[in-house]
Amino acid sequence: MERNPMRRQLAIMRQSLFDQGHVDEQFVQLEELQDDANPNFVEEVVTLYYRDSARIILNIEQALERKPFDFRKLDAYMHQFKGSSSSIGAKKVKAESTLFREYCKSGNGEGCMRSFHQLKKEYATLRKKLGAYFQLARQAGPVETASRPK
Amino acid sequence: MLEGKQDGHVFKLPKVILLAKNITNVELEKAKAAGFADTVIMKPMRASMAAACLQQVLGIGKKRQAGKDMLNGSPVLQGLLCGKKILVVDDNMAHQRVFAGALKKFGAAVECRESGKAALKLLQLPCCFYACFMDIQMPEMDGFEATHPIRMMESKANEQMNGGMDEDSGRKGWMDVSKPFEEENLYQAVAKFFKSTRSNCFT
Repeated sequence: MERNPMRRQLAIMRQSLFDQGHVDEQFVQLEELQDDANPNFVEEVVTLYYRDSARIILNIEQALERKPFDFRKLDAYMHQFKGSSSSIGAKKVKAESTLFREYCKSGNGEGCMRSFHQLKKEYATLRKKLGAYFQLARQAGPVETASRPK
Repeated sequence: MLEGKQDGHVFKLPKVILLAKNITNVELEKAKAAGFADTVIMKPMRASMAAACLQQVLGIGKKRQAGKDMLNGSPVLQGLLCGKKILVVDDNMAHQRVFAGALKKFGAAVECRESGKAALKLLQLPCCFYACFMDIQMPEMDGFEATHPIRMMESKANEQMNGGMDEDSGRKGWMDVSKPFEEENLYQAVAKFFKSTRSNCFT
């Protein structure tokens, strides 16, 4: 049980990321790699993710402006994006990616547009939530001991 | 690691482990036909899976432990990987970072490259890498294409060793990991695989 109020707040924020389905078990894997030698590991990986994936999102946006849709290309981009999102455990984003890919496979342009729109929303929401989480983590300071819930 | 010794010549070639998000039958057949890599592992490669895989790679027949325990470090694994050079090849920076982080936990000296081409520059003989984890699906040069030259080197080295053709070099261990994959299945498959390749190693 965290005594430090900031740490408590941080724990609550963290729990809600899981409870609301924004992140999955892979996120825990990242946390387990964070230690004294790599105190900001999770934030660094997430930053890399947003940097990498921004490029892919742009590619998809551009591809969606070209008619008729090149579903194969769209699917390929989304495959990349999904893999990227998996590596940080971005659960909702990943789910939307899967949906998008199914629309690609069935050649459903409308479906693609809809799910891409939703995906971008989830992507932005996650970024905001993680941003706030990391900011608080930095303010709260380093953890004294490994914090796996008992 | 494959090592050959004869008349003082030592050829060390890294074990190549391919990572794939999913692998189609076509790709799997292609890979089998070419006999390129030593093994294929499905992504996302979790840190705990990396540990499980490495334990098997190194032939430590330990019982599977909970992910947490593995990361907090089997001292044996720590000892064996300490200072060993491992190459991680993935065009996705986040994934690269996660994987490298997992390996570093065990004391490995990890180098990362974003492309097959860049990786190949590091994998020329004499090669100082103990193992190489490579993404199957990369633009420009995918994991298969990148491992081809490595296998050519290996086959050449074998020829020199045996003074003739090495029938095995093209057909060495292709490990088939089907989806959806369970950690336990992978663990067993990797264990089985490495047991059989060990018998192909020459010293």
